[in-house]
Amino acid sequence: MNAAWLPLTTLATSLLAAAVIFLLPEEARRLRTSINLLAAVSKIILVALMVVRVSQGYEDTFSFQIVGGVEFVLRADALGVMFAGLSSLLWLCTTIYAIGYLEGAANRKRFFGFFSLCVASTLGIALAGNLFTFLIFYEMLTLSTYPLVVHSGTAKALAAGRVYLRYTLTAGVVLLLGVVLLYSLTNDYSFASEEGLSPYLNDHRGLLTLIFVLLVGGLAVKAAMVPLHGWLPRAMVAPAPVSALLHAVAVVKAGAFGILRVIYDLYGIELSVQLGVTTWLAVAASITIIYGSLRAIAQQELKPRLAFSTISQVSYVVLGVSLFGPFGTIGALAHLLHQGFMKVTLFFCAGNYAEELGIHRIDEMDGAGKRMPLTSLAFTVGALGMIGLPPIAGFITKWYLGVGAIQAEMYWVVAVLVASSTLNAVYFLPIVHRLWFREGPAHGKGAWPKEQRLGRLETHGWLLWPAVFTALVSIGAGLLAGLPFSPLDWATRVAVGEYLP
Amino acid sequence: MITLLLLAALLWPLCVAGSAIWHAYRTPAANRHHFSLLWISASWPALLLAYGGEAQWSIDAWMLGGYWELNALSRPWLAFTAFLWSLAAVHARGYFVAEQANAQVGDNDAQRRLQRLALLWPLTFFGNVLLIIAQDIASFYLGFALMTFAAYALVVHSGSDDARLGARAYLILAVIGEGLILGGLLWAAGTAETLTLEGVREGIAGAEQGAMMALLLWLGFGVKAGVIGLHVWLPLAHPVAPAPASAVLSGAMIKAGLLGWINVLPLGVEGLSPALTQLGNVMLVAGLAAAFGAALYGVWQRHPKAVLAYSSISQMGMLTAMVATGLAAPDVWPLLLPGVVLFAAHHALAKGALFMGTSISEHMPRWPQPLLFALIALPGVSLTGALAAGLLSKWGVKSALYESQHEQLIMLLTLAAIGTAALITVCVWRQWQQRQSEGGNAFQWGAWLVALIAALITPIWLPLPDTSMMAPPMEEWLGIVWPFPVGVGVVAVSAYLLRSVRLTAPPAGDLWWTYSALVVRGLQSVRFIAHTCERLKIASLARSLAFEKALMGQLQRWLPGEGWMRRHGSGLMMALAVVLAFLLMWEGLR
Repeated sequence: MNAAWLPLTTLATSLLAAAVIFLLPEEARRLRTSINLLAAVSKIILVALMVVRVSQGYEDTFSFQIVGGVEFVLRADALGVMFAGLSSLLWLCTTIYAIGYLEGAANRKRFFGFFSLCVASTLGIALAGNLFTFLIFYEMLTLSTYPLVVHSGTAKALAAGRVYLRYTLTAGVVLLLGVVLLYSLTNDYSFASEEGLSPYLNDHRGLLTLIFVLLVGGLAVKAAMVPLHGWLPRAMVAPAPVSALLHAVAVVKAGAFGILRVIYDLYGIELSVQLGVTTWLAVAASITIIYGSLRAIAQQELKPRLAFSTISQVSYVVLGVSLFGPFGTIGALAHLLHQGFMKVTLFFCAGNYAEELGIHRIDEMDGAGKRMPLTSLAFTVGALGMIGLPPIAGFITKWYLGVGAIQAEMYWVVAVLVASSTLNAVYFLPIVHRLWFREGPAHGKGAWPKEQRLGRLETHGWLLWPAVFTALVSIGAGLLAGLPFSPLDWATRVAVGEYLP
Repeated sequence: MITLLLLAALLWPLCVAGSAIWHAYRTPAANRHHFSLLWISASWPALLLAYGGEAQWSIDAWMLGGYWELNALSRPWLAFTAFLWSLAAVHARGYFVAEQANAQVGDNDAQRRLQRLALLWPLTFFGNVLLIIAQDIASFYLGFALMTFAAYALVVHSGSDDARLGARAYLILAVIGEGLILGGLLWAAGTAETLTLEGVREGIAGAEQGAMMALLLWLGFGVKAGVIGLHVWLPLAHPVAPAPASAVLSGAMIKAGLLGWINVLPLGVEGLSPALTQLGNVMLVAGLAAAFGAALYGVWQRHPKAVLAYSSISQMGMLTAMVATGLAAPDVWPLLLPGVVLFAAHHALAKGALFMGTSISEHMPRWPQPLLFALIALPGVSLTGALAAGLLSKWGVKSALYESQHEQLIMLLTLAAIGTAALITVCVWRQWQQRQSEGGNAFQWGAWLVALIAALITPIWLPLPDTSMMAPPMEEWLGIVWPFPVGVGVVAVSAYLLRSVRLTAPPAGDLWWTYSALVVRGLQSVRFIAHTCERLKIASLARSLAFEKALMGQLQRWLPGEGWMRRHGSGLMMALAVVLAFLLMWEGLR
């Protein structure tokens, strides 16, 4: 039984929401909010339904032919549903957050419209059943994110948007080139073909490697791998919910997810190992991890520090993929979710500090724990998770990646992981220390840069609760990792069921 | 029943922490009691649990799979840890009376400090309990990390510059230690495909690279246990921490490092690889070096708690040496283990009593001073092995070593006891010099007295597996007791000889200052490299911009051609068509 409507409807929720939001007038705030939330909640329900379907063994596929030989395919497989789940859950959180964040701001219609479009593209990427569909949504993501990056309209934002477009559009062209080359070689571009590309290995080794480099190189721009990461710290001028979405789910994860698809579904892990590309990928990921952490230490402002931390953390996923073996794969897949929750928490908190107290620089954060305890607690959870301390989700993935590295006999990867943990501690612990152990304006010393009293609680409830919720999810995903349907459990299911020999 | 007790032992400290938060927001500062009975009781269920008998739990949903156990090792360990924490909590109630009073009349700083301590104390304890009962890697690591990081608040409590330095040293080394532990655990667990500590032990024993894994873990836990070279945080952190915090740091928490070793190193496993045996020898040397070096350095300290910190390093050095024999001479280990546990438990309580004693000499109750100072010195005397539980624990270790003919090691340990005696003498002497009669209160000296007595009678209450802990035969007594008078004598004679020489005390934290100088030097060169890279980047950026500009300039030179092409568009098209037609004809002719 193939429920073809399911992936299509799931995709349509965000797309329809986007369309309706664009049609509504700017002033229809309540209606827009209700539609947005309704769409987000119904999407979560639909994704939950897909989770159930996939765990029962169905793979719902929707496809139609566009022109001869070119098909548009949406398929709810385990990996795709995993990413879709992350995207839809965080969409709800971020939407709630954005409603609070943009209270009273201008151009909200544009913002929420493109926001929904952006999430729709993410979902499309997650469910794309072949390279063609993937490419469509990938480019749609690029374009729908641009208005969000330049939302504030300042010169700095416009410059950042330009840089963003340059990077991502060029990457899109490179990716397209790879796809075209692949198509000219095989006349096929679907994921999950049984044999993969292995029949071509003997005759076209060089070409296969070239295609791999083009595909992964194109995707690596969005995944912000060094040296293609330049756009990400600049895109930090975007409003906090956008940064949260960019960093936790949509853009960077879309890149990482694309790399997962290329390696697992297109090439197949064994072929990738035979081509010898995985070792190079591991090296590139390791360089990114260390370089990102080092640059993060040097940042004096909160959001850029988090941005470089993202650069470092997203490459964990790529690192895990390139460790051929069950543990590395599970680690990579679980990190896709874990890092999403932790990083979105951190960005929510950074946004809260900026909105409520006007804090942008790290040295302004002294004693903020007293003024905003729940936000600071959530931030602490996210930070400790990034370091990889138990019981937060970050520990679980770090553990799996490390064990995977040992089993792949790549001992230096463990050194990279340990170094990265230590560097994470070096740039996150001082912030935590400032929050809780230093005295600041909350203790009567100095004043906050720009304090607003946004709500009855420490800040606006719409801003506070999403951060608290994602922090709780981060703890829960680590503490109860052994439960069925936890991110780790689902990652294990995906890895064991689909990709491991 | 025992599961309920376990739940209580783990949840109760969390509830206490929760109530601390609740009071912070709900109770006005003027009637907020940070050290209420509830707060003191945080460690009681865990203490009960230690006496509840042996048990096992496995929880699949918990992280990577939880497996907890109360066994022959973890029961006594939990007993002395929870006991010490309970006593230190009572002591804290007395110790912080003045600060509490200040907080209630509106001293915001005092309020903040106490708030922090009242919250993080039970959390630190929770970590400590969890790491003791945990037999799976994730829980153990969770407990260890939680304890380590939460204890930061205990060290930094007073907020003075010295306290911040001590706390920073503590934290930096803790982070390094965590990194080493993570690396070692990952390596060992990855090789052996295991999630339990027992699996790690077996994995290290069997693995090709076992010695390297063991080295990482030894050093990682060694940060806590004060292995020489990594010990520098102890003498910096202890003098600045409040007395009850020092007591648990030195009594319970550094023992967590020791427990870590016992849990993950393949001690007492026959047929270890030569590399592991070699590591055992290295550990032995390092342990003895710490035992002697700390004594030699510590006697020059002025602050009694710094002296005690060096005494802890020295004692942990002895324990390191004993653990090392488990690798170097595995056959001794089964005999030695009960002795080591007793030694650790006795040291925990005795060191706890000594640290609490430093606060007693600062707030002397109106007792006869000779009696008071005799009592203050008593746990120290026991530590040297001259009486009571100290005597028994020394004998427990010694008899095991005798049986396997390790006379040399016995000799060295006995000599190290002279160092212990010297350190205790110096400590009590410094306390005497710096004594203040400001009248303590009953909580303060009550807890101290109980700790003192408990230290002296450790074997009676410690739930050791078998009661084979025998008193030494008469003829051996002298062999164990003699270091004490010798140590006291050495200090007395040296003090007499050096009375006219003015000596400056060497800084506490010895190697820390060397390390920090090296790190500063290293950072300078890193900064230089970074600057060079930045210059390089700017230069290459400028170069590429210039290239782009030149290229665009070249292209722009062709722009006038555009106008020409536009004017002659139709002609050009015609020419193109002609060329194409010719091409087609040529193709057809071929």
